[in-house]
Amino acid sequence: MLTYIAQRLATGFVTLFGVAAIVFLVLRIIPGDAAVMLTGAGAGVVSEEDLAQVRHKLGLDRSIPVQFAEWAGDLASGNFGTSLRTGNPVWTDIVRRFPYTLEIVVIAMLLAVVLGVPAGVLAARFVGTWLDRAIQAFSIFGLAAPSFWIGLLLILGLVSLFSWSAPLYWEPFWVNPLGSLSQLIWPSIAVGLRQLALITRMTRSIMLEVLGEDYIRTARAKGLPERTVVFRHGLRNGLLPVVTLVGFEFAALFGSLIITETVFSVPGLGQYVVQSILNRDYPAAQGIVLVLAAIVVVGNLVVDLLYGWLDPRTRVQGAG
Amino acid sequence: MTRRFSRSRNGLTRRKVVHGAGALAVALAAPRFAFAQTPKRGGTLKISNGGDPPDFDLHQSATYLTEFIGAPCYSTLLRIDPNDYNKLVPDLAEKYDVSDDGKTITFHLRSGVTFHNGMPFTADDVVYSLDRIRQPPAGIVSPRKGLLGNVENVAAPDPLTVVVTLKQAQPDFPFLVSNPYNVIVPKQVARPLDASGQGMKRQIVGTGPFRLKTAVDGQLYEMERNDKYFGTPAYLDKLQFFPIKGEIERAVAIQGKRIDACFFFPNESVLATLRKNPNVKELRRPTPTFVNLIPNVTRKPFDDVRVRQALSLAIDRDAFVKTVGPLAGAYYHSRGLLLPDSPYSLSEAEVKQFAGYDTAPGLGGDIAANRKKAMELLEQAGVPKDFKISMLTRADVPAFRDSSINVAAQFKTIGLDATVDIRDPGAFYALENKGDFQLVAHSVALSGALPDQILGEGYTSYGGRNYGQWKDDAIDEMFRAQSRERDQAKRKELIHQFQLSFMKTFYQINLAWVGYGVGYGTQVKGWNALPDLYANMQLDMVWLDS
Amino acid sequence: MTAAVIDPATAVTAGAPVRKTRRARLWRMVRRQPLGTFGAVVLAILAFAAVFAPWIAPFDPTAGDPAALYQPPGPVYWLGTDGFGRDILSRLIYGARISLAVGVGTSLLGVVVGAALGILSAYLGGWVDSLTQRVMDALLAFPMLLIALTMATVLGSSLHNVIIALSIPIIPRAARIARASTLVLNATTFVEAARASGCSDTRIVLRHILPNTVAPLLVIATAYLGLAVVQEAALDYLGAGIQEPASSWGLMMSGSATTLALTAPWIVIFPGIAICLAVLASNLLGDTIRDVFDPKLQRDFPG
Repeated sequence: MLTYIAQRLATGFVTLFGVAAIVFLVLRIIPGDAAVMLTGAGAGVVSEEDLAQVRHKLGLDRSIPVQFAEWAGDLASGNFGTSLRTGNPVWTDIVRRFPYTLEIVVIAMLLAVVLGVPAGVLAARFVGTWLDRAIQAFSIFGLAAPSFWIGLLLILGLVSLFSWSAPLYWEPFWVNPLGSLSQLIWPSIAVGLRQLALITRMTRSIMLEVLGEDYIRTARAKGLPERTVVFRHGLRNGLLPVVTLVGFEFAALFGSLIITETVFSVPGLGQYVVQSILNRDYPAAQGIVLVLAAIVVVGNLVVDLLYGWLDPRTRVQGAG
Repeated sequence: MTRRFSRSRNGLTRRKVVHGAGALAVALAAPRFAFAQTPKRGGTLKISNGGDPPDFDLHQSATYLTEFIGAPCYSTLLRIDPNDYNKLVPDLAEKYDVSDDGKTITFHLRSGVTFHNGMPFTADDVVYSLDRIRQPPAGIVSPRKGLLGNVENVAAPDPLTVVVTLKQAQPDFPFLVSNPYNVIVPKQVARPLDASGQGMKRQIVGTGPFRLKTAVDGQLYEMERNDKYFGTPAYLDKLQFFPIKGEIERAVAIQGKRIDACFFFPNESVLATLRKNPNVKELRRPTPTFVNLIPNVTRKPFDDVRVRQALSLAIDRDAFVKTVGPLAGAYYHSRGLLLPDSPYSLSEAEVKQFAGYDTAPGLGGDIAANRKKAMELLEQAGVPKDFKISMLTRADVPAFRDSSINVAAQFKTIGLDATVDIRDPGAFYALENKGDFQLVAHSVALSGALPDQILGEGYTSYGGRNYGQWKDDAIDEMFRAQSRERDQAKRKELIHQFQLSFMKTFYQINLAWVGYGVGYGTQVKGWNALPDLYANMQLDMVWLDS
Repeated sequence: MTAAVIDPATAVTAGAPVRKTRRARLWRMVRRQPLGTFGAVVLAILAFAAVFAPWIAPFDPTAGDPAALYQPPGPVYWLGTDGFGRDILSRLIYGARISLAVGVGTSLLGVVVGAALGILSAYLGGWVDSLTQRVMDALLAFPMLLIALTMATVLGSSLHNVIIALSIPIIPRAARIARASTLVLNATTFVEAARASGCSDTRIVLRHILPNTVAPLLVIATAYLGLAVVQEAALDYLGAGIQEPASSWGLMMSGSATTLALTAPWIVIFPGIAICLAVLASNLLGDTIRDVFDPKLQRDFPG
């Protein structure tokens, strides 16, 4: 098991390095360089000499391999560089914003699993009834609706029905758990809706299949109560594909998260990365993308481990 | 626009130092304001801006996002009278004198002033700041470089006196130097930071009524009252600025009393919702902000004046104002290059002679005929049908974005295939600065409405707003001629001629003027809306009635 | 009509009865797969609207009516107007062009390129396979929108650039599936036989491997059609995609629309519904294709 983890971690690092290189290169090709962005916001014509000087001060006029080597070296020592815009170390900005993003991800996944699995089970249990159809309709909608549209509608509804307005202070979880939850529940719903729908559908179809299996019939024949049949025997095996699905969708969830944070103006990593890319804040963009990719890689690893724990058959294979 | 400083009746012949202190002395003696109520001390004013300031360096910036945050913390030599836009009152300079020939201005500074970090304020700081603006050190960028372009030299003969020598007389100079962005920064702090290229972007060290306490990107900018302020201490204990991007959200927050004020509302429907609330004061007033079509005249076919005329003819300015007005505040139109109600405005007949300007509201132009003429001009100039034009614009400001969208749609009527290239500010300025664009609809927001400010910055080749890279020495010389003219009547004629000469070049094509809305709860007192986006934002006279 | 006794249940004669059988078969399929049919029909309608937009749309989607700014749905403007006075229905119809072009183009490009990479890398094996795998993994670690955003910012925001940018996240996913399929097929006996009998590699790939990977790839393609439509809308919303005054569903919900949304919610609601419909249709169609080809695929390729 340990070798498996070690292997996966090693693969993960290689992947991350690849990610870092890609990000670094791509950002340097983007038109509109950081020097002008920093000097230009709203000003009149800026002369080339001024720009060249700013570029020189920022070290942007050196060759790309040199810049990359320097950045990689800094990374190895834990230095993510300084944000060109805020002037803070990128790491500080990331650490400050990370809790909000993490909280949204956790709440969204929790909502998706805690609501989705039972919903799928219910739909399978009462297949063909109005309840099943209602749940299916809802999950079809949840899959099709774009998360930022849901976010916009949520905001509209909250503003017009409850005179809700966006929080002025976004409270971190450890300062005020309930307050923080009440603030972040809305973006989490927008982000998690699609996952909820997917998990519901998946659970339902798996349960339907599983409930027709032989061992279920055996359990029923043995006279076990339906609940035990469904949960202990059916669900355990049904969870496997759900876990795979979660892993598959983890990266997708971050995509929704990025745009939903922008819609709700949550000061999290998603909003930060969008702004950094659009603002050509190279160090920040590189740092955050790397962190996000790392989260996805780690998340996938966790999912794979869970999968291995749930299904001993897969533990034998070590290949990614 | 009258300038109230008294002058010797004998004019230029007497070598007498004229005291420009008349109005100032009056202003010093009189109470600064007359309120029906007695202001209450204390409280925190919560304000919302439409986003984070890109940085804190006012000299290098031209966006309200930075200016609103910096203004309470900094001071200028003189400042606009909060009760009278046409007057200046002392700030760091107690009074100033103008020499007979108008070329030497002497500022007498206050004594005993300290910066927020305890350093004493002296004339050296003024010299450094003014030089920083007009001759920025390497790596520092100064949009208002041209504004102080008439300055020959700035010197500090003693710690409380600054002598500014101009290249030619410039009656408007005191107002130019009092531009809200021309704040005084401490030389000892700024100089090493400038040398390292960072500038005053990350910190605010000023002499203003408030001091920056906390700045959290994306969340909050907090200032507390400076008890060592040289003027009357502010009434408020604290200021808090919250960056809230959505206009609806800002309006809802004001109505819910979660914030007290927002001084930047472009959209009319949002102001309309505020209007319904008796506990909220809202208003929109015109500002010296104008939307101009700026073609890049170094690129074909925009080097041909017929093509530029065609662009102007294509725009139904009445429809533009009606459509973009509610979205961005572009409700106003001028007659000429200066403000809508400027005493230097051209007559209707004069304006109508310039292609396309007759479609402004009330001037009775025939847009169909204009567009037909435009197509003829394009054909004469050899522009093929469905010629592709990409209009570069900014995503985050409606006066840019929505103006461009409307203009692009109007260009289709004369057979041009126009699209809007909406970029984030970074890419927008990158391309605009490089001159890598065909056409821009730029919303030029100035502070101050003087001829020298508007014409100097917007309509000279060396001004800060010549994005289109036109060059015309004759026009530049006409500007300088009116700038140094001290006879009001002669100057008016020179300004008149300047406008006529510039407008016939169509180097820039004016579409409309923009006025911004503000909204604040009735508990906010002591704030006066001036016809200017940037003036009167020090907030030292504001108090909360709660 | 012949004089012979015809058993209607088994009649297979020329003329009218054959046509009835084909139609009957179609009808049977529709009844058995109502949702899939619904999906196909909706997509067909959208495609029709997209192709015939200039004839169907009641108004010019870019010309605004200054006298009718953000009007609610009414007799003249059926779905209302936006902040510029432009008819929303017309903009939706023209928007279908962009959304479908991007949706179809992206999923096709992504699946084709991804499948090619996956099949080739699995077939060739060795270090080619390992390297491709690593690169694909690196790409998979990115959230899809992030790649698209960065690439769109790099390439610029014309239609074909958006298609390229959005197809990039799909490539590794399609590659993975094609690769898995190829690995399985490579080990089958008939491929071994084909190789033994001297068939060239190209022939084997084209004749044996490719046709058998089509089914899961088709499922992926329809699934990602919907996703591409959503991602495209997201890109437009963020300002990195298609630009004004073109009508794109995502674009219709951004900019001034967000400020007017409280007083004029229809501006934001209708484009979202259009996106939902398109995604819904493609998902349903994809599900049906999957069910028709191989119900077992649902377990292996969820979503």
